[in-house]
Amino acid sequence: MSELATLQDKEDTRRHRLLALPAILIMIALGLIPLMIVVVYSLMAPGEYGGVVPKFSLEAYVSLIFQRDMFDDTLTFSPAYLEIYLRTAIFGVVTTVLCVLVGFPTAYFMATRPADKRNIWVLLLTIPFWSNLLVRTIAVMFIIRDEGLINTILLDLGVIDHPITLLYTNFAILLGLVYSFLPFMVLPIYASLEKFDFRLAEAGFDLYANRFQVLTQIIIPLAKPGIVTGSILVFVPAFGAYVTPLLLGGGSHLMIGDLIALQFGSSRNWPLGSAFSIVLMVIVMLALLFQLRRSGQVKHG
Amino acid sequence: MSNIASSQTAKGGSVSILSVLKDFGNFRAVNDVSIEIRPNEFFTLLGPSGCGKTTLLRMLAGFEAPTDGKILLDGSDISMLPPNRRPINTVFQNYALFPHMTVAENIGFGLKMLGKSAAEISATVKEMLRLVRLEDAGNRSVTQLSGGQQQRIALARALAPKPKLLLLDEPLSALDLKLRKSMQIELKRLQQETEITFIFVTHDQEEALTMSDRIAVMNGGKVLQIGSAHDIYEHPADRFVAGFIGETNFLEGELTASAGGAGTVNLRCGVTVEALTAKSVASSGSVTIVVRPEQLEMVDPGSPQSVDATVEQIVYFGTDRHVHARLGDGTALTIRQQNRPGMREGLAEGQKIGVAIPPRVAQILKD
Ligand SMILES: Nc1ncnc2c1ncn2[C@@H]1O[C@H](COP(=O)(O)OP(=O)(O)OP(=O)(O)O)[C@@H](O)[C@H]1O
Ligand SMILES: [Mg+2]
Repeated sequence: MSELATLQDKEDTRRHRLLALPAILIMIALGLIPLMIVVVYSLMAPGEYGGVVPKFSLEAYVSLIFQRDMFDDTLTFSPAYLEIYLRTAIFGVVTTVLCVLVGFPTAYFMATRPADKRNIWVLLLTIPFWSNLLVRTIAVMFIIRDEGLINTILLDLGVIDHPITLLYTNFAILLGLVYSFLPFMVLPIYASLEKFDFRLAEAGFDLYANRFQVLTQIIIPLAKPGIVTGSILVFVPAFGAYVTPLLLGGGSHLMIGDLIALQFGSSRNWPLGSAFSIVLMVIVMLALLFQLRRSGQVKHG
Repeated sequence: MSNIASSQTAKGGSVSILSVLKDFGNFRAVNDVSIEIRPNEFFTLLGPSGCGKTTLLRMLAGFEAPTDGKILLDGSDISMLPPNRRPINTVFQNYALFPHMTVAENIGFGLKMLGKSAAEISATVKEMLRLVRLEDAGNRSVTQLSGGQQQRIALARALAPKPKLLLLDEPLSALDLKLRKSMQIELKRLQQETEITFIFVTHDQEEALTMSDRIAVMNGGKVLQIGSAHDIYEHPADRFVAGFIGETNFLEGELTASAGGAGTVNLRCGVTVEALTAKSVASSGSVTIVVRPEQLEMVDPGSPQSVDATVEQIVYFGTDRHVHARLGDGTALTIRQQNRPGMREGLAEGQKIGVAIPPRVAQILKD
């Protein structure tokens, strides 16, 4: 009897594997192979005009942390790249936090509209996505530059007499990142709030909770899967952002994405660019792992 | 007997619902309802779907504000208080247990919000778990419980803060028949042990009759009759109440004389019966009388004081059987007979029988 069951199980798993084959092939072709290429490139020496020369070298990883003296080959510790990683991580975290703070009320508002109106709000939320990221980022530039909308209005109203510098600042980068990725936060939170049974909130009020307690003890814990998903969806692309910091930071506030682009572009150091990418990926993976562990713990304990 | 009853200073509260109205747009869901509910009473709101029971309950809980009228709890007006400031708890129809909390956290939630100490909360949670006979369930997740267990936890959660009034909105409707019967007994026991005033909503008339101290029968947003189970079953105020509570036969006739709470009615089907009257019935004119199926007697056709009928259908219920018969003028009648040895003998569909109405059991309705 049990033997038969295990046989059946084996049969089932075999069929499942077969069904999963196309997906596995696609993942190998589009995910694993490019990744292997990047790993291999990061372990080679740079070619004169870009590309790599097929010679094993750890130089790329060494130069992440150290600066090699041009004449005597001695290594001195150089935190320049680490600082950029750190800044990128801070931008990623701050962007995610801001997106939660703005996104949750937005999603809550949408989820509490009458059922037939909600789709209109979802549509409105996605409208900016109908245009290209570059176009949207340039639009932000036009709004916040010295001669832009904000400064013009403030000047005309007499609130200020010199334009405030907004463009090419950390503020500009954050604004751009939050603006670009906010929908990725709103939609998953909206999805979990839309499923939320508001009778649970009523039960909370009935049991002497005030509005704040209902929010923090009932609604937010139950919307948590949406918040976690949204945070991942915002943090990962924000961490690797390239266009936004380049345009709104004016090249003076580099993020790691720009540094990688630079290595494959004008610096012509493909191994270093690859090494940057690998480290970036490892950091993101560790962050996700940490996040999953934490939310898993909360669920069980 | 239980320590809730003894540790509680204020037990069940009295509730006065004073001319309460509730409009949703142009629709009047609750229409001029006035009810006085006594402390420690098991009071039931009974009525068909859509008659406004839930709306009335939600106004008591504070989720809806009355369009007009007042609600008093122990004499003070609570109409304007938000739900979290009313000493009233609700057992929701779908239980509305918090799925991200354990059983114990669910039960302790109200006390935690009231700012009670951890020690007091855990003691009360234990006490509540004992009260609903789920002593070992404290650490389980509420999503792992069966429907009946969730029901008990919902009750325990609502009772834990020791409210003055407990509202129950069709709490048993999701349970199967057997579980429902045992929960009915359980509920009644809890109400007696805790001495909290219960307002119980149901559209199941049998449930209402077996559990309640008093019942308010509602229809179309209005209260039609308030009284004990006995009052409402034996002396229904009008046709709707008579028809809604239990099975009923209606017979048309002419009231010819009335005195001392009884009257003589010449029924259209040809017999004359002595029937009970309510005070507000006119002394003569055309009336409807109601006779319960178990009050009718089956006799030989042609017997004196009986009317001839034809058996159309016999429905066997185990404990009794219903004989559906039709009179000569087309009126349908149902007769209930208790299951006794020999009951099945000598009755077949299509057979002629006589039906007799004993004196002073039928009730004359006011029109
Ligand atoms: N928020 C609302 N907006 C508009 N109409 C409502 C609202 N709530 C209830 N109603 C209407 O009021 C009437 C009474 O509803 P209520 O829920 O009180 O009935 P009920 O007696 O509890 O019925 P049931 O036995 O089906 O639960 C119904 O016709 C319902 O459609
Ligand atoms: Mg209802």
